[in-house]
Amino acid sequence: MHGHRGGDEPVENLGVAVTLVLQLLEDMALAAVPAVGFGMLFNVPRSVLAYCALLGAVAHGLRFLLLRAGVPVEVGTLIAASAISFIGVWQARRLRAHPKVFTVAAVIPMIPGVPLFTMLITIQQIYQKGASEALLTQAINSGLRAFFVVAALAIGLAMPGLIYFRRRPVV
Amino acid sequence: MSVTATPPDPMDIAPLCAETALRLLQHGAESALVESLTRRVGLALGAERVEVALMANAVTVTARIRGRSKTTVRRNEDRGINMHVVMEVQRLVLEAESGRIDRVVYRERLLAVQPLHHPRWLVAVMVGLSCACFARLNHADWAACGLVAVASGLAMVARQLLAHLHFSPLIVFGATAFVATSVTAIGFVYDFSQTPRVAMAASVLLLVPGYPLINSVSDMVKGYINPGISRGMFALLLSGATCTGIVAAMSLWKIWGWL
Repeated sequence: MHGHRGGDEPVENLGVAVTLVLQLLEDMALAAVPAVGFGMLFNVPRSVLAYCALLGAVAHGLRFLLLRAGVPVEVGTLIAASAISFIGVWQARRLRAHPKVFTVAAVIPMIPGVPLFTMLITIQQIYQKGASEALLTQAINSGLRAFFVVAALAIGLAMPGLIYFRRRPVV
Repeated sequence: MSVTATPPDPMDIAPLCAETALRLLQHGAESALVESLTRRVGLALGAERVEVALMANAVTVTARIRGRSKTTVRRNEDRGINMHVVMEVQRLVLEAESGRIDRVVYRERLLAVQPLHHPRWLVAVMVGLSCACFARLNHADWAACGLVAVASGLAMVARQLLAHLHFSPLIVFGATAFVATSVTAIGFVYDFSQTPRVAMAASVLLLVPGYPLINSVSDMVKGYINPGISRGMFALLLSGATCTGIVAAMSLWKIWGWL
């Protein structure tokens, strides 16, 4: 019995690891497309779009892993946004362009669009049907989530300036 | 820096600084970047001091040389986010700082910067795919993702058309949300997808004002409270217009997919 379990565990662990890696890759690929799509919406030049895709995939993948590890969503978002912002300022000097040119498009896949609209639609429902506990709870919860994740994204992107560059210009 | 015997006149520098600030502000650069680039280019072109004040609808620049100063106010109107312009202006400022171009060349090249636009059909296709990916990230099935791609692509075409006709952004966002929500309502009528709700939610994500929201918080964090508040308020207004479009479509077709 004991020997049997001992023989099976590595195989199971391997299976779990492979599943995790596949899910991670799927998550990164699915995040890269909107990063490029919104990069085009923001008229990021073609030569820089690859950075949007790459950083978008890295950011969303990193947040995916952090959320899996049980990190709260706003903390995971803050860490992911900071990470790509540091990569961004490093590449910005080479590109001779401000990092925000491509890092904002890269964090778009992490923008809490559904909570933001859920809050607004629920507020409209509260006006129409009168306040009930369920509607108020939904409005407050989704609104707070949208607020904290957007704040985490913006502060994460500003992190190199706040911590390292301070009063010096990045580019 | 231009090698001239006499120092430049503030009359020459201030309008150039104002134009630089205006270009950046019109195309969605954050306040800290606008102020620092404007000051840097002014100093590089020979000013002793450059002061910049940013407002929601205007920019004020003062250039000072040898006790003489010139102040200009330029009105700012939003031209839509264009990172290409921000990047080109930044590169011109870097060239001026390194002394490779003087103020005449700088002026010529600054006025020659034309906003780049990707082909409209390509943007529509990519935005459709982007929203389909958002749906998939929210665990929609493939049929729902296909529906989202069509709905968001069509919505994006509507958005481009309305923006081209110079409608107010609020009307553009409301109408676009109406189109996207109406198309995804098909998912509730015909039974081909198990996740029509996710499709309806994901189809309007092309209207989340992500850039203004991030700029807003970023401005406020860096001490530009007023521009930050006005950007945030505008982002909220756009979201409100989007929400109105969604609710209008849901009540017209009597399909309450968001609730």
